[in-house]
Amino acid sequence: MTALIIFAILAILLVTGMPVSIALGLTVFTFLFGFSDVPMDAIALKLFTGIEKFEIMAIPFFILAGNFLTHGGVARRMIRFASSMVGHWYGGLGIASVLSCALFAAISGSSPATVMAVGSILLPAMVRQGYPPQFGVGTITSSGGLGILIPPSIVMVMYAVATSGMVVTGPDGGPVMSASIGDLFMAGVIPGLMLATMLGGTTMWRAWKKGYPRMPRAPMIDRWKAFRESVWGLMLIVIIMGGIYGGIFTPTEAAAVSAVYAFIVAVYVYKDIKLSDVPKVLLNSAAMSAMLLYIITNAVMFAFILTSEQIPQGLSAWIVELGLGKVGFLLVVNILLLAIGMVMEPSAIVLIMAPILYPVAMALGVDPIHFGIILVVNMEIGLCTPPVGLNLYVASSLSKLGLTDVTKATWPWLLTMLTFLMLVTYIPEITLLLPRLMGM
Amino acid sequence: MLRLLDRLEEVLIATLIAVATVLIFLAVTHRFAIGFAADLVGFARAREMTGLADFARSMFMFVNSLKMTWAQEACIYLFVWMAKFGAAYGVRTGIHVGVDILAERLTGNKRRAITTIAMSGGILFTAILTWIGTDFVYHVRNGGQTSPDLEMPMWIIYLAVPLGSALMCFRFVQALHLFLTTGEIAHHDHGSVDGLDEEAEDLAKGGHA
Amino acid sequence: QDKIIIKFSHVVAPDTPKGKAAARFEELAELYTNGAVDIEVYPNSQLYKDKEEMEALQLGAVQMLAPSLAKFGPLGVREFEVFDLPFIFADYDALRKVTQGEVGAGLLAKLEDKGISGLAYWDNGFKIMSANSPLKSPDDFLGLKMRIQSSKVIEAYMNKLGAVPQVMAFSEVYQALQTGVVDGTENPPSNMYTQKMNEVQDHATVSNHGYLGYAVIVNKQFWDGLPEDVRVGLDKAMLEATEYANSIAKDDNDQALAAMEAAGTTEFYTLTDEERAAWMEALAPVNEEMAERIGAETIAAVEAAVSQ
Ligand code: NA
Ligand code: NA
Repeated sequence: MTALIIFAILAILLVTGMPVSIALGLTVFTFLFGFSDVPMDAIALKLFTGIEKFEIMAIPFFILAGNFLTHGGVARRMIRFASSMVGHWYGGLGIASVLSCALFAAISGSSPATVMAVGSILLPAMVRQGYPPQFGVGTITSSGGLGILIPPSIVMVMYAVATSGMVVTGPDGGPVMSASIGDLFMAGVIPGLMLATMLGGTTMWRAWKKGYPRMPRAPMIDRWKAFRESVWGLMLIVIIMGGIYGGIFTPTEAAAVSAVYAFIVAVYVYKDIKLSDVPKVLLNSAAMSAMLLYIITNAVMFAFILTSEQIPQGLSAWIVELGLGKVGFLLVVNILLLAIGMVMEPSAIVLIMAPILYPVAMALGVDPIHFGIILVVNMEIGLCTPPVGLNLYVASSLSKLGLTDVTKATWPWLLTMLTFLMLVTYIPEITLLLPRLMGM
Repeated sequence: MLRLLDRLEEVLIATLIAVATVLIFLAVTHRFAIGFAADLVGFARAREMTGLADFARSMFMFVNSLKMTWAQEACIYLFVWMAKFGAAYGVRTGIHVGVDILAERLTGNKRRAITTIAMSGGILFTAILTWIGTDFVYHVRNGGQTSPDLEMPMWIIYLAVPLGSALMCFRFVQALHLFLTTGEIAHHDHGSVDGLDEEAEDLAKGGHA
Repeated sequence: QDKIIIKFSHVVAPDTPKGKAAARFEELAELYTNGAVDIEVYPNSQLYKDKEEMEALQLGAVQMLAPSLAKFGPLGVREFEVFDLPFIFADYDALRKVTQGEVGAGLLAKLEDKGISGLAYWDNGFKIMSANSPLKSPDDFLGLKMRIQSSKVIEAYMNKLGAVPQVMAFSEVYQALQTGVVDGTENPPSNMYTQKMNEVQDHATVSNHGYLGYAVIVNKQFWDGLPEDVRVGLDKAMLEATEYANSIAKDDNDQALAAMEAAGTTEFYTLTDEERAAWMEALAPVNEEMAERIGAETIAAVEAAVSQ
């Protein structure tokens, strides 16, 4: 009953279109005034301490690093490299755009920016080569989602932050250690490559069926040149993953170091950004980070209310009692997240839903890293589903196609992503193989 | 006057993120340098190279005499301030994401009403925060707590909440006023990427692929 | 008549010594006050996290806590940092002379100005050092990056050993030790075991060089407002709970050490008398360095109490 009241208030406030962070905060206050005896002071504390965790600081650093390198020039280098490698396959530029998105994802934690950067260059090129615009739109809208699955990923940091420090028990009653940012990044690699391959496969198959044009095979020397040009950007992911696993720094420190690296590459190596443009990049990154940190603060407060009203605990007991089991529960989770993903943004969904679903998942014996990746894949699909899907919006504005047309064009790839979601959900090894190999 | 406030807000948050980044970068470099010097001492000792060992030892002593244990704490507080003031800046530039499907579909008076409600929600929330925040800071000041590493008074750090919320409240009032008088709503494009025009030009000239 | 509700919040699991002692106190307190009091224990940071709980207590959002003694320095009562000094307590007997004597009571009394009443000291245990290389002499620490919790005293003694102290969030420690971002750390055996740090540390030295403990505290205004008979009942319950807490804390550490030795991933070393003397000699200057912070008279009082 309490849960219903809380979520009803939240839903009503959200529908007005007010910022998600404000809606979360107002829900808490409304509930406190009207329905609860939790003292106001108890809540005030959370406003101050909600983001006082060093792990959370990875978010602004990764955003800053991504913003230095989210530039048309960097995208062009990735695209040139990708098309020199796979442009001669079936699907030509289409398959090159999947690869470009995957490469761009390794420096950016944002999906819509990936769609924008790759799409604005490749879409016109594809149309000029005789592809129907729908084909390019479908490829790029879906592949853009790789941004949050291939590390670095802001959504993964959000999941780690939302679940770390939660003391939950496994099916045997023993405590479960939550997933660290490092674990999640490592776990995202194989699923990321696998999804890229599957999206590429779909692209190839459709191109082959329709007989779309291929490009001439690029000579070795061109490939090498394109690789050398793009390698500076791609080193970012090497620094992050290598630094974390080589014992040089913690994930948050890796994020700060990668921001400094990205600055040097953008300003002094690529010279895409002038020194005088740097304050603008800083300002944009600060604003974007502040928006996310603001959501986190209010989501922490919201989670506190839920916990003090015993809602996750009650839900957990209820679902365990239902006897859905792991298989049934994960199916329900996927359906629920896909539904919410249609109307809300990924970071807010993860912050609100992870604390609620996580204890249940752990009680049923789902691995905390695996559960995180399932959430991320759902968020990725949510970016491509109407009515609210940032990837769709960006693709629509790029292609001048309406939202409905873009959605229709994306369908084959969306089906591929749903298939992939099922595989990731029910074959935990896809996710856990690499972290286990690394001895985690 | 207002322009000055806008500018101050921008300079403040951009500086905070820059300082935090440089600080953590230095802390990592510092730790790396210490590890390197210590390894060098061990290396030289094992090979009985006394000159190198002495040099490495004094290098180690020097780097280790610079203390960076406070860096993480400082980074957290810099970002707390950035988050509170950045959120206010975000209202001005429309960066806060919301579920605006309904508002987008409505027209005329209905749209006007729902948007006014949404923005008033922002005003109400931030006003409450300013009030609670001030009260809280007052309590903490009496408690006399300091932060563990920097040993800074906590109330100064926590001042970010009432100040940031007050500014944010003001930004919401401004936004509502702008909407009611002109019908405009600030909107940030979350998929924006710089440098695409140059690339498009390049493309038009047949510059690639 | 309505029951008096006491919210007792702590940040560890219910099955740890502190968690069990809190549960025991709940049981005894309700018994000795004839049900006039209802203790609500909130474990696992369910209500407030480590960083928040002190303010929550001062604001009256919770009534009772058992924070680590290290939390009182930042609160403005730096005398409590005396507990962090290396080798200040030779063993549990020496420790009890302080925590159950006048000096301990005097320290708790200093919290009154902060709106807090101190009721008792609960043990966590004595700390051991761990790293990926053997730690027999102070020289073995040279250049080692050691994770510590925020504390000026701990920072000072790690520096004295030639180690490089690193402040790091608890949640990041395991991976940092595993990958080698830091080389070692210090913990009571029970913490080391529950955090599985023995899996990622090759060597540990049972140095017992430092003490980790808690103080059970209450909101002063709330406490002073309780009826006399209720407070007497609660005091009695606290006395028994404290005895229980300290006995199980010691057992817990002994068991954890035995379990880690059995697991075989870490080589445990016990210092010889000469080696221990060398450590103590190396760290002796720390007391002097810290005298200005902690207060020379507090250090002297503790030293006098333990040598009685
Ligand atoms: Na990414
Ligand atoms: Na969607």
